[in-house]
Amino acid sequence: MDSDSAFVSSSGGSDRAHRREFLKRLAVLAGSSALLAELPWWSPLRAAPVGDSPADRVRIGLVGVGTRGNLLIAQLLRTPGVEIAALCDDYEPHLQAGLMRVKRAKGFADYRQMLDMPGLDAVVIATPLYLHSRMCLDAFSAGKHVYCEKSLAYTIEECQAVADAYRGSKQVFLIGHQRLFSPLILRALELVRNGEIGQITQIRAYWHRHGNWRNPVPDPSLERRLNWRLYRAYSCGLMTELASHHIQVANWFLGAHPVACAGYGSINYWKDGRELYDNVNVVYRYADGTHVVYDSLTSNRLYGEEIQIMGPKGTIEAISGRLYAESPPPAPGIVQLINGLEHGFFNTVPIGGPSWVPDLKKDTKGSLLVNEKLTEDGTAIALAAFANAIRLREPIPGMMEQACRTGVSVLMGQASMEQQQEIAWPEGFRV
Amino acid sequence: MEGCTWRRMSHPTLFPEQKVFHRSCFAMNTRFSMVLVGIETERAEALAVAAECDLRACERMMSRFDAESPVSDLNRRATETAIQPPEGLWEILSLCRDYWKRSRGAFDITLWPLNHLWREHLGRGEEPTGKAIEQARLQTGFERLHLDEIAHTVRFQSKGMSIDLGGFGKGFAIERLDGSLRAQGVEQAFLSFGESSITVLGSHPHGPAWPVGITNMFQPSDTVHTFHLRNASLSSSGTAPFNRMGGPQVFGQNIDPRNGRPLEGYRTISVVSPSGIEAEVLSTALLVTPERDRAALISGFSTISAIEIVYRTNAGKFVPCIEWEYGL
Repeated sequence: MDSDSAFVSSSGGSDRAHRREFLKRLAVLAGSSALLAELPWWSPLRAAPVGDSPADRVRIGLVGVGTRGNLLIAQLLRTPGVEIAALCDDYEPHLQAGLMRVKRAKGFADYRQMLDMPGLDAVVIATPLYLHSRMCLDAFSAGKHVYCEKSLAYTIEECQAVADAYRGSKQVFLIGHQRLFSPLILRALELVRNGEIGQITQIRAYWHRHGNWRNPVPDPSLERRLNWRLYRAYSCGLMTELASHHIQVANWFLGAHPVACAGYGSINYWKDGRELYDNVNVVYRYADGTHVVYDSLTSNRLYGEEIQIMGPKGTIEAISGRLYAESPPPAPGIVQLINGLEHGFFNTVPIGGPSWVPDLKKDTKGSLLVNEKLTEDGTAIALAAFANAIRLREPIPGMMEQACRTGVSVLMGQASMEQQQEIAWPEGFRV
Repeated sequence: MEGCTWRRMSHPTLFPEQKVFHRSCFAMNTRFSMVLVGIETERAEALAVAAECDLRACERMMSRFDAESPVSDLNRRATETAIQPPEGLWEILSLCRDYWKRSRGAFDITLWPLNHLWREHLGRGEEPTGKAIEQARLQTGFERLHLDEIAHTVRFQSKGMSIDLGGFGKGFAIERLDGSLRAQGVEQAFLSFGESSITVLGSHPHGPAWPVGITNMFQPSDTVHTFHLRNASLSSSGTAPFNRMGGPQVFGQNIDPRNGRPLEGYRTISVVSPSGIEAEVLSTALLVTPERDRAALISGFSTISAIEIVYRTNAGKFVPCIEWEYGL
């Protein structure tokens, strides 16, 4: 297997200078790979390196300074040409902790006041799911560029509303499905498109954890606010918070949205007052007969997380980064023998010699997609692409479609489990 | 990367009835390939699935790398107590003892402790001490492997003993497969285990035999000698030509049971026999047997032909030369 992929490049770097160097290399790659033609969201990365002039600076306000928000702050602080100008959270301790990290940022408790702040170019939304659509719509109205964490919205109607509001917009929108920018996932896509596993016949994905998924709560009155992922009024739990990552990859690799799904979910272990399932199992059906089988649970971590992309010639495990050939390549002598038989030749088969052993371990245990450990999950590149697109004043093509496909898919899964029936893709849904 | 599922190949103009099928899979720590001629797709697929199941069964029985295999069980416990292995393994061990005797000790499945010792030391770029070699030799030798004929139990009579059925296992599996395919009416087939153990059924569809070339191990595109096989097996054993860094190495992986040292130099022995097992046993045994003793060794086996290729340096290159031949 050719491991010299256009996408393989370690992120390296522990500060902004390293990040700048990394992005410079990415810009070269983004302009050189044939595959990038089908990754339009990579196009902003081809932009010229960011300078230090004020004109190059993108001023961002981040709303939702929780776990994910803090990870995004860490990445934004390393992203060249980005200034975190404002932070917003209606939970005061989170806001104050954020302001301690970003001392120059202005603090807000109400995101609408933050949107009114002069000179703000963009907002990063890292709030609970039920707030996403409202905040996206208000940010669009305020003329801001938007980076919205996954999943897109709390209901299918809200997904449609965001897509409708954005249609034809000149603003930049980016959904926080960071795997769209993950070098490892892009390498997997490259192999799939090169025919390494043949036609995709099934994708199986899972995310297994062992934990109650709870945040500590200083006062019982804050339970729902701080543990919003467990309550139906705020989230769709495992489907929107975990499955969305994998369903996004499945939809992307299959180049389609599911036509229907059916699933079961339950609370069978963490019977602690939560309302959302602690295990989910959903099968998605696509128009061409391919299925995506997904499950997630929170009471066993043995198998961890994986996306298995399967075809008649092999399997790619996109998270662990391995390719397993369905059959080993035959020895050159065997190829020659078959060729001779096929064409009526009676030639010597050059084959007998000491036993073949090279690369056996690699072949039986799968070969690595990339030969180096990648620490970059795509978030840093996604934020750089977002900032570049704003600088270029060019919307990122294909992004809302990715957001809607996945946003709707996971909501279909949740609906199927709740209603205990097959749920079809919403007729007439339009990006 | 070339994929390799079943491939149906036909040339309606040249060979209207000819169908060629191929399948490769990983088995027994190497690559197994099977080429069938003139068999309908569906039937060939069923044969291949059955073949793969057979190989897996052999692997489960004989692998020393599978912690749950009966061989691993023996290697773990047979020093402390007599173990009764599954009957199939008992028969294999009895057969190995028989070949050990017939080969006058040249074929021996108990050499692993020496093999392991040399690998460990050579990996660190050093030779083991004479004392270490002598200690390891005390853990080897079929005479220390007690097979109880009545109870069908196995006991190691020296601590640290270990069985390795690697090469023998391939011969055993390919012979079993040969019989199974014939029983199912297959008349023409080419089976290869790691390219070193080959069995053919019948003849090549376009000639009187299957011409199989022994390749130059330093120049794999060159053939040094061609055997014409018909209902026969070919096995090759040799000193390993390359080290981990890709360069030629002085020592091979085959241990000479007579002195506990790996074979030196670059040589291969290729043996053709009606039996896959005997081809395997003899290619290993002849490699460690001096030329003067080979005829006597061979006399105890089925009719065979064999060659030895020795590689010598000439103007900085390794040049192959057929040093010894038998029955050609």
